[in-house]
Amino acid sequence: MRQLLPYFGVATLLLAVLALWARQIFLTHKTRIEIQLPRKREAAAVSTASHDDLGERIFGLEDWDFVSRNTPFEIQKLFLHERAALAISWLRRTRTRISLVMRTHLVAARQTEDLQPANELKLALSYFVFLILCDLLIGCIWLRGPIRTRKTIGQTLRAVAWLRRAIELLMARVDPANCKTLRTSFNHRTVRS
Amino acid sequence: MFTQILWWLGIALEILILVRSVKGNWCQKYPAFYLYLGTLLLIELLRFSVYAFKPRAYAPFYWYTEFLATIVAYAVILEVYKHALITSPGLTRIARTFLWGVLGAVILKATLNAVTKLVWSPAITHAELERDLYAVQAILLAGIIALLFYYVVATGRNLKGIIFGYSTYVYASVISLAFGSLPGYGPRPGWRLVQPIAYLAALLIWSCTLWSYSPNPAAETESKIDRDYKLISQQTRRALSKARSFLKMGGEL
Repeated sequence: MRQLLPYFGVATLLLAVLALWARQIFLTHKTRIEIQLPRKREAAAVSTASHDDLGERIFGLEDWDFVSRNTPFEIQKLFLHERAALAISWLRRTRTRISLVMRTHLVAARQTEDLQPANELKLALSYFVFLILCDLLIGCIWLRGPIRTRKTIGQTLRAVAWLRRAIELLMARVDPANCKTLRTSFNHRTVRS
Repeated sequence: MFTQILWWLGIALEILILVRSVKGNWCQKYPAFYLYLGTLLLIELLRFSVYAFKPRAYAPFYWYTEFLATIVAYAVILEVYKHALITSPGLTRIARTFLWGVLGAVILKATLNAVTKLVWSPAITHAELERDLYAVQAILLAGIIALLFYYVVATGRNLKGIIFGYSTYVYASVISLAFGSLPGYGPRPGWRLVQPIAYLAALLIWSCTLWSYSPNPAAETESKIDRDYKLISQQTRRALSKARSFLKMGGEL
Protein backbone atom coordinates (compact mmCIF):
# COMPACT_ATOMS: atom_id res chain seq x y z
CA MET A 1 0.00 0.00 0.00
CA ARG A 2 2.92 2.33 0.74
CA GLN A 3 4.08 2.22 -2.89
CA LEU A 4 0.77 3.80 -3.91
CA LEU A 5 1.33 6.96 -1.87
CA PRO A 6 3.17 8.87 -4.67
CA TYR A 7 0.27 8.14 -7.04
CA PHE A 8 -2.30 9.27 -4.51
CA GLY A 9 -0.18 12.34 -3.91
CA VAL A 10 -0.07 13.18 -7.61
CA ALA A 11 -3.82 12.57 -8.01
CA THR A 12 -4.60 14.71 -4.96
CA LEU A 13 -2.36 17.48 -6.30
CA LEU A 14 -4.23 17.45 -9.62
CA LEU A 15 -7.59 17.50 -7.85
CA ALA A 16 -6.53 20.35 -5.54
CA VAL A 17 -5.18 22.52 -8.36
CA LEU A 18 -8.28 21.81 -10.44
CA ALA A 19 -10.55 22.77 -7.54
CA LEU A 20 -8.64 26.02 -6.99
CA TRP A 21 -8.83 26.86 -10.68
CA ALA A 22 -12.56 26.07 -10.78
CA ARG A 23 -13.08 28.37 -7.78
CA GLN A 24 -11.12 31.12 -9.53
CA ILE A 25 -13.22 30.74 -12.69
CA PHE A 26 -16.42 31.17 -10.67
CA LEU A 27 -15.01 34.24 -8.95
CA THR A 28 -13.51 35.86 -12.07
CA HIS A 29 -15.87 38.82 -12.07
CA LYS A 30 -14.92 39.58 -8.47
CA THR A 31 -11.20 39.62 -9.36
CA ARG A 32 -11.89 42.09 -12.16
CA ILE A 33 -13.61 44.45 -9.79
CA GLU A 34 -10.66 44.31 -7.39
CA ILE A 35 -8.16 45.07 -10.16
CA GLN A 36 -10.18 48.12 -11.16
CA LEU A 37 -10.31 49.28 -7.53
CA PRO A 38 -7.53 51.92 -7.80
CA ARG A 39 -9.39 53.66 -10.62
CA LYS A 40 -12.35 54.18 -8.30
CA ARG A 41 -10.27 55.39 -5.38
CA GLU A 42 -7.87 57.55 -7.32
CA ALA A 43 -9.44 60.74 -6.00
CA ALA A 44 -8.94 59.69 -2.39
CA ALA A 45 -5.20 59.19 -2.83
CA VAL A 46 -4.14 62.32 -0.97
CA SER A 47 -6.32 61.89 2.08
CA THR A 48 -4.51 58.84 3.47
CA ALA A 49 -1.09 60.39 3.94
CA SER A 50 -0.93 59.65 7.66
CA HIS A 51 -1.79 55.97 7.27
CA ASP A 52 1.90 54.99 7.67
CA ASP A 53 1.77 55.82 11.37
CA LEU A 54 -1.45 53.96 11.99
CA GLY A 55 0.25 50.58 12.48
CA GLU A 56 2.66 52.03 15.03
CA ARG A 57 -0.22 53.58 16.91
CA ILE A 58 -2.32 50.42 16.87
CA PHE A 59 0.42 48.18 18.24
CA GLY A 60 2.01 50.86 20.44
CA LEU A 61 1.75 50.87 24.23
CA GLU A 62 0.99 54.58 24.74
CA ASP A 63 -2.80 54.31 24.51
CA TRP A 64 -2.90 51.13 26.55
CA ASP A 65 -0.74 52.66 29.29
CA PHE A 66 -3.12 55.59 29.52
CA VAL A 67 -6.26 53.43 29.51
CA SER A 68 -4.91 50.91 32.01
CA ARG A 69 -3.91 53.69 34.47
CA ASN A 70 -6.95 55.95 34.28
CA THR A 71 -10.01 53.86 33.45
CA PRO A 72 -12.06 51.08 35.08
CA PHE A 73 -11.87 47.44 34.02
CA GLU A 74 -14.92 47.61 31.69
CA ILE A 75 -13.36 50.42 29.68
CA GLN A 76 -10.06 48.53 29.48
CA LYS A 77 -11.93 45.48 28.20
CA LEU A 78 -13.75 47.59 25.61
CA PHE A 79 -10.49 49.22 24.58
CA LEU A 80 -8.80 45.84 24.05
CA HIS A 81 -11.77 44.58 22.07
CA GLU A 82 -11.84 47.61 19.79
CA ARG A 83 -8.05 47.71 19.41
CA ALA A 84 -8.08 44.03 18.35
CA ALA A 85 -10.73 44.79 15.71
CA LEU A 86 -8.69 47.76 14.50
CA ALA A 87 -5.45 45.73 14.36
CA ILE A 88 -7.14 42.95 12.40
CA SER A 89 -8.63 45.47 10.01
CA TRP A 90 -5.22 47.12 9.52
CA LEU A 91 -3.55 43.76 8.82
CA ARG A 92 -6.27 42.79 6.35
CA ARG A 93 -5.87 46.10 4.58
CA THR A 94 -2.09 45.66 4.37
CA ARG A 95 -2.58 42.15 2.98
CA THR A 96 -5.06 43.42 0.38
CA ARG A 97 -2.59 46.06 -0.77
CA ILE A 98 0.24 43.58 -1.15
CA SER A 99 -2.15 41.27 -3.04
CA LEU A 100 -2.86 44.13 -5.39
CA VAL A 101 0.88 44.61 -6.02
CA MET A 102 1.18 40.89 -6.69
CA ARG A 103 -1.77 40.89 -9.05
CA THR A 104 -0.26 43.75 -11.03
CA HIS A 105 2.95 41.78 -11.30
CA LEU A 106 1.07 38.73 -12.59
CA VAL A 107 -0.62 40.79 -15.29
CA ALA A 108 2.81 42.08 -16.34
CA ALA A 109 4.40 38.61 -16.16
CA ARG A 110 1.83 37.21 -18.60
CA GLN A 111 3.19 39.57 -21.26
CA THR A 112 6.88 39.29 -20.37
CA GLU A 113 9.15 37.29 -22.64
CA ASP A 114 12.18 36.95 -20.38
CA LEU A 115 10.36 35.50 -17.42
CA GLN A 116 12.82 34.06 -14.90
CA PRO A 117 11.40 30.92 -13.26
CA ALA A 118 13.70 31.12 -10.22
CA ASN A 119 12.67 34.71 -9.47
CA GLU A 120 9.03 33.87 -10.04
CA LEU A 121 9.23 30.94 -7.67
CA LYS A 122 10.96 33.02 -5.00
CA LEU A 123 8.39 35.74 -5.37
CA ALA A 124 5.50 33.29 -5.19
CA LEU A 125 6.95 31.67 -2.06
CA SER A 126 7.56 35.07 -0.44
CA TYR A 127 4.01 36.09 -1.21
CA PHE A 128 2.47 32.92 0.17
CA VAL A 129 4.62 33.15 3.31
CA PHE A 130 3.48 36.74 3.69
CA LEU A 131 -0.17 35.72 3.41
CA ILE A 132 0.28 32.89 5.89
CA LEU A 133 2.04 35.19 8.35
CA CYS A 134 -0.70 37.78 8.01
CA ASP A 135 -3.33 35.15 8.75
CA LEU A 136 -1.24 33.91 11.66
CA LEU A 137 -1.05 37.41 13.10
CA ILE A 138 -4.77 37.93 12.65
CA GLY A 139 -5.37 34.63 14.44
CA CYS A 140 -3.03 35.62 17.29
CA ILE A 141 -4.70 38.99 17.72
CA TRP A 142 -8.16 37.49 17.55
CA LEU A 143 -7.29 34.90 20.20
CA ARG A 144 -5.22 36.93 22.65
CA GLY A 145 -5.59 40.59 21.73
CA PRO A 146 -3.00 43.03 20.31
CA ILE A 147 -1.37 43.90 23.64
CA ARG A 148 -0.77 40.40 25.00
CA THR A 149 0.60 39.12 21.70
CA ARG A 150 2.96 42.02 21.14
CA LYS A 151 6.07 39.87 21.48
CA THR A 152 4.78 37.15 19.15
CA ILE A 153 3.71 39.78 16.65
CA GLY A 154 7.12 41.41 16.83
CA GLN A 155 8.89 38.12 16.14
CA THR A 156 6.55 37.26 13.29
CA LEU A 157 6.88 40.68 11.75
CA ARG A 158 10.66 40.38 11.82
CA ALA A 159 10.33 37.15 9.86
CA VAL A 160 8.36 39.11 7.29
CA ALA A 161 11.31 41.49 6.82
CA TRP A 162 12.99 39.25 4.26
CA LEU A 163 10.09 39.96 1.94
CA ARG A 164 11.57 43.37 1.31
CA ARG A 165 14.03 42.06 -1.26
CA ALA A 166 11.31 40.16 -3.07
CA ILE A 167 9.14 43.25 -3.20
CA GLU A 168 12.02 45.26 -4.67
CA LEU A 169 12.45 42.62 -7.38
CA LEU A 170 8.77 42.78 -8.04
CA MET A 171 8.80 46.52 -8.36
CA ALA A 172 11.74 46.39 -10.77
CA ARG A 173 9.53 44.37 -13.09
CA VAL A 174 6.16 45.96 -12.49
CA ASP A 175 7.02 49.62 -12.32
CA PRO A 176 10.70 50.33 -13.10
CA ALA A 177 10.18 54.08 -12.94
CA ASN A 178 9.02 53.98 -9.36
CA CYS A 179 11.36 51.18 -8.29
CA LYS A 180 14.35 53.45 -7.76
CA THR A 181 12.33 55.83 -5.65
CA LEU A 182 10.95 53.03 -3.55
CA ARG A 183 14.35 51.40 -3.05
CA THR A 184 15.77 54.69 -1.82
CA SER A 185 12.79 55.07 0.42
CA PHE A 186 13.32 51.58 1.82
CA ASN A 187 16.99 52.25 2.46
CA HIS A 188 16.32 55.51 4.26
CA ARG A 189 13.82 53.85 6.55
CA THR A 190 15.62 50.61 7.23
CA VAL A 191 13.93 47.85 9.17
CA ARG A 192 14.93 48.11 12.78
CA SER A 193 15.14 44.44 13.74
CA MET B 1 -23.71 -6.03 -19.75
CA PHE B 2 -22.91 -2.77 -17.93
CA THR B 3 -19.46 -2.74 -19.55
CA GLN B 4 -21.10 -3.16 -22.97
CA ILE B 5 -23.41 -0.23 -22.28
CA LEU B 6 -20.44 1.94 -21.24
CA TRP B 7 -18.59 0.85 -24.37
CA TRP B 8 -21.41 1.73 -26.75
CA LEU B 9 -22.24 4.96 -24.97
CA GLY B 10 -18.60 5.99 -25.17
CA ILE B 11 -18.43 5.23 -28.91
CA ALA B 12 -21.68 7.11 -29.52
CA LEU B 13 -20.46 10.19 -27.64
CA GLU B 14 -17.09 10.13 -29.42
CA ILE B 15 -18.86 10.02 -32.78
CA LEU B 16 -21.19 12.84 -31.68
CA ILE B 17 -18.30 15.10 -30.60
CA LEU B 18 -16.30 14.38 -33.76
CA VAL B 19 -19.25 14.86 -36.12
CA ARG B 20 -20.24 18.07 -34.35
CA SER B 21 -16.70 19.47 -34.66
CA VAL B 22 -16.40 18.52 -38.33
CA LYS B 23 -19.84 19.99 -39.06
CA GLY B 24 -19.01 23.21 -37.24
CA ASN B 25 -15.51 23.21 -38.75
CA TRP B 26 -13.71 23.85 -35.45
CA CYS B 27 -11.88 20.53 -35.42
CA GLN B 28 -9.06 22.46 -37.12
CA LYS B 29 -8.83 24.72 -34.09
CA TYR B 30 -7.99 21.82 -31.75
CA PRO B 31 -6.38 19.28 -34.12
CA ALA B 32 -4.39 17.38 -31.49
CA PHE B 33 -7.41 16.91 -29.26
CA TYR B 34 -9.59 15.65 -32.08
CA LEU B 35 -6.76 13.41 -33.28
CA TYR B 36 -6.72 11.87 -29.80
CA LEU B 37 -10.47 11.41 -29.83
CA GLY B 38 -10.39 9.96 -33.35
CA THR B 39 -7.61 7.55 -32.39
CA LEU B 40 -9.57 6.38 -29.35
CA LEU B 41 -12.66 5.83 -31.47
CA LEU B 42 -10.64 3.78 -33.97
CA ILE B 43 -8.99 1.78 -31.17
CA GLU B 44 -12.34 1.01 -29.57
CA LEU B 45 -13.86 -0.13 -32.84
CA LEU B 46 -10.82 -2.33 -33.50
CA ARG B 47 -10.99 -3.74 -29.98
CA PHE B 48 -14.62 -4.52 -30.43
CA SER B 49 -13.87 -6.37 -33.66
CA VAL B 50 -11.07 -8.37 -32.04
CA TYR B 51 -13.27 -9.13 -29.02
CA ALA B 52 -16.05 -10.35 -31.29
CA PHE B 53 -14.01 -12.33 -33.81
CA LYS B 54 -10.76 -13.33 -32.00
CA PRO B 55 -11.41 -13.30 -28.25
CA ARG B 56 -8.06 -15.00 -27.45
CA ALA B 57 -6.08 -12.18 -29.02
CA TYR B 58 -8.03 -9.55 -27.11
CA ALA B 59 -5.81 -9.33 -23.97
CA PRO B 60 -2.48 -8.60 -25.73
CA PHE B 61 -4.27 -6.40 -28.27
CA TYR B 62 -5.85 -4.46 -25.41
CA TRP B 63 -2.48 -3.74 -23.75
CA TYR B 64 -0.76 -2.66 -26.95
CA THR B 65 -3.62 -0.36 -27.95
CA GLU B 66 -3.91 0.93 -24.38
CA PHE B 67 -0.25 1.90 -24.46
CA LEU B 68 -0.81 3.63 -27.83
CA ALA B 69 -3.83 5.49 -26.43
CA THR B 70 -1.83 6.66 -23.43
CA ILE B 71 0.93 7.98 -25.65
CA VAL B 72 -1.51 9.72 -28.01
CA ALA B 73 -3.15 11.25 -24.92
CA TYR B 74 -0.14 13.53 -24.62
CA ALA B 75 -1.61 15.32 -27.62
CA VAL B 76 -4.33 16.63 -25.30
CA ILE B 77 -1.68 18.03 -22.95
CA LEU B 78 0.08 19.65 -25.91
CA GLU B 79 -3.22 21.11 -27.10
CA VAL B 80 -3.94 22.57 -23.67
CA TYR B 81 -0.42 23.94 -23.41
CA LYS B 82 -0.58 25.42 -26.92
CA HIS B 83 -3.92 27.15 -26.49
CA ALA B 84 -3.68 28.20 -22.86
CA LEU B 85 -0.23 29.78 -22.91
CA ILE B 86 0.11 30.99 -26.50
CA THR B 87 -0.42 34.64 -25.52
CA SER B 88 2.20 34.46 -22.75
CA PRO B 89 5.68 33.86 -24.22
CA GLY B 90 7.40 33.69 -20.83
CA LEU B 91 4.91 31.19 -19.46
CA THR B 92 5.18 29.12 -22.65
CA ARG B 93 8.92 28.81 -22.13
CA ILE B 94 8.51 27.69 -18.52
CA ALA B 95 5.78 25.19 -19.41
CA ARG B 96 7.77 23.79 -22.36
CA THR B 97 10.83 23.13 -20.21
CA PHE B 98 8.67 21.57 -17.50
CA LEU B 99 6.80 19.38 -19.99
CA TRP B 100 9.81 17.91 -21.77
CA GLY B 101 11.78 17.53 -18.55
CA VAL B 102 9.08 15.48 -16.84
CA LEU B 103 8.36 13.38 -19.92
CA GLY B 104 12.06 12.57 -20.44
CA ALA B 105 12.54 11.64 -16.78
CA VAL B 106 9.64 9.21 -16.80
CA ILE B 107 10.54 7.50 -20.06
CA LEU B 108 14.07 7.06 -18.71
CA LYS B 109 12.77 5.62 -15.45
CA ALA B 110 10.39 3.23 -17.24
CA THR B 111 13.16 2.05 -19.59
CA LEU B 112 15.55 1.49 -16.69
CA ASN B 113 12.90 -0.44 -14.77
CA ALA B 114 12.15 -2.65 -17.78
CA VAL B 115 15.84 -3.38 -18.36
CA THR B 116 16.78 -4.08 -14.74
CA LYS B 117 13.80 -6.30 -13.87
CA LEU B 118 14.67 -10.01 -13.88
CA VAL B 119 11.25 -11.25 -14.94
CA TRP B 120 9.76 -9.30 -17.79
CA SER B 121 6.03 -9.61 -18.22
CA PRO B 122 4.44 -7.51 -20.97
CA ALA B 123 1.11 -7.19 -19.17
CA ILE B 124 2.67 -6.00 -15.89
CA THR B 125 5.10 -3.66 -17.65
CA HIS B 126 2.34 -2.18 -19.78
CA ALA B 127 0.07 -1.71 -16.77
CA GLU B 128 2.83 -0.11 -14.73
CA LEU B 129 3.99 2.01 -17.65
CA GLU B 130 0.42 3.12 -18.29
CA ARG B 131 0.02 4.01 -14.62
CA ASP B 132 3.30 5.94 -14.67
CA LEU B 133 2.39 7.72 -17.91
CA TYR B 134 -0.95 8.78 -16.46
CA ALA B 135 0.82 9.92 -13.29
CA VAL B 136 3.11 12.05 -15.46
CA GLN B 137 0.12 13.44 -17.30
CA ALA B 138 -1.40 14.30 -13.93
CA ILE B 139 1.81 16.16 -12.97
CA LEU B 140 1.88 18.00 -16.31
CA LEU B 141 -1.79 18.91 -16.10
CA ALA B 142 -1.37 20.05 -12.50
CA GLY B 143 1.61 22.17 -13.61
CA ILE B 144 -0.27 23.81 -16.48
CA ILE B 145 -3.42 24.35 -14.39
CA ALA B 146 -1.26 25.84 -11.62
CA LEU B 147 0.19 28.29 -14.16
CA LEU B 148 -3.30 29.18 -15.43
CA PHE B 149 -4.48 29.65 -11.86
CA TYR B 150 -1.49 31.60 -10.59
CA TYR B 151 -1.21 33.97 -13.56
CA VAL B 152 -5.00 34.18 -13.96
CA VAL B 153 -4.82 33.31 -17.67
CA ALA B 154 -8.17 33.79 -19.40
CA THR B 155 -9.48 30.65 -21.12
CA GLY B 156 -12.49 29.93 -23.30
CA ARG B 157 -15.23 27.40 -22.66
CA ASN B 158 -13.72 24.84 -25.06
CA LEU B 159 -10.35 24.82 -23.35
CA LYS B 160 -11.89 24.74 -19.88
CA GLY B 161 -13.95 21.74 -20.98
CA ILE B 162 -10.94 19.93 -22.44
CA ILE B 163 -8.96 20.52 -19.22
CA PHE B 164 -11.76 19.59 -16.81
CA GLY B 165 -12.82 16.53 -18.80
CA TYR B 166 -9.35 15.21 -19.31
CA SER B 167 -8.29 15.93 -15.72
CA THR B 168 -11.26 13.92 -14.46
CA TYR B 169 -10.20 10.99 -16.61
CA VAL B 170 -6.52 11.23 -15.67
CA TYR B 171 -7.36 11.49 -11.96
CA ALA B 172 -9.55 8.39 -12.10
CA SER B 173 -6.97 6.53 -14.21
CA VAL B 174 -4.11 7.22 -11.79
CA ILE B 175 -6.17 6.06 -8.79
CA SER B 176 -7.63 2.98 -10.50
CA LEU B 177 -4.35 1.88 -12.08
CA ALA B 178 -2.51 2.40 -8.80
CA PHE B 179 -5.01 0.14 -7.02
CA GLY B 180 -5.10 -2.22 -9.97
CA SER B 181 -1.35 -2.74 -9.72
CA LEU B 182 -1.75 -4.19 -6.21
CA PRO B 183 -1.81 -8.01 -6.15
CA GLY B 184 -5.19 -8.32 -4.43
CA TYR B 185 -7.02 -5.56 -6.24
CA GLY B 186 -6.22 -6.26 -9.89
CA PRO B 187 -8.78 -8.98 -10.56
CA ARG B 188 -11.63 -7.19 -8.77
CA PRO B 189 -14.20 -6.07 -11.36
CA GLY B 190 -15.04 -2.83 -9.52
CA TRP B 191 -11.70 -1.20 -10.25
CA ARG B 192 -11.89 -2.06 -13.94
CA LEU B 193 -15.06 -0.02 -14.23
CA VAL B 194 -13.57 3.17 -12.76
CA GLN B 195 -11.68 4.12 -15.92
CA PRO B 196 -14.56 3.60 -18.41
CA ILE B 197 -16.97 5.49 -16.13
CA ALA B 198 -14.51 8.37 -15.76
CA TYR B 199 -13.95 8.38 -19.52
CA LEU B 200 -17.70 8.54 -20.07
CA ALA B 201 -17.86 11.48 -17.64
CA ALA B 202 -15.07 13.20 -19.59
CA LEU B 203 -16.94 12.60 -22.86
CA LEU B 204 -20.09 14.11 -21.36
CA ILE B 205 -18.11 17.20 -20.27
CA TRP B 206 -16.59 17.47 -23.75
CA SER B 207 -20.01 17.04 -25.40
CA CYS B 208 -21.34 20.02 -23.45
CA THR B 209 -18.31 22.32 -23.63
CA LEU B 210 -17.33 21.54 -27.22
CA TRP B 211 -20.84 21.80 -28.59
CA SER B 212 -19.94 25.11 -30.19
CA TYR B 213 -16.70 26.96 -30.85
CA SER B 214 -15.69 29.27 -28.03
CA PRO B 215 -12.14 30.61 -28.34
CA ASN B 216 -10.04 32.01 -25.52
CA PRO B 217 -10.79 35.64 -24.70
CA ALA B 218 -8.37 38.07 -26.34
CA ALA B 219 -5.37 38.95 -24.20
CA GLU B 220 -5.22 42.38 -22.66
CA THR B 221 -3.43 44.73 -24.96
CA GLU B 222 -0.25 46.42 -23.86
CA SER B 223 -1.84 49.86 -23.97
CA LYS B 224 -4.55 48.78 -21.55
CA ILE B 225 -1.90 47.37 -19.22
CA ASP B 226 0.07 50.59 -19.46
CA ARG B 227 -3.06 52.52 -18.65
CA ASP B 228 -3.71 50.24 -15.70
CA TYR B 229 -0.11 50.70 -14.56
CA LYS B 230 -0.51 54.45 -14.49
CA LEU B 231 -3.71 54.13 -12.52
CA ILE B 232 -2.33 51.49 -10.25
CA SER B 233 1.11 52.96 -9.62
CA GLN B 234 -0.15 55.39 -6.97
CA GLN B 235 -2.00 52.58 -5.26
CA THR B 236 1.08 50.36 -5.47
CA ARG B 237 3.28 53.00 -3.89
CA ARG B 238 0.83 53.39 -1.08
CA ALA B 239 0.60 49.61 -0.67
CA LEU B 240 4.37 49.35 -0.41
CA SER B 241 4.34 52.23 1.99
CA LYS B 242 2.04 50.13 4.16
CA ALA B 243 4.41 47.19 3.84
CA ARG B 244 7.28 49.45 4.90
CA SER B 245 5.29 50.61 7.89
CA PHE B 246 4.49 46.98 8.65
CA LEU B 247 8.18 46.00 8.59
CA LYS B 248 9.15 49.05 10.57
CA MET B 249 6.69 48.02 13.26
CA GLY B 250 8.36 44.59 13.40
CA GLY B 251 11.57 46.27 14.41
CA GLU B 252 9.98 48.32 17.10
CA LEU B 253 7.95 45.68 18.84
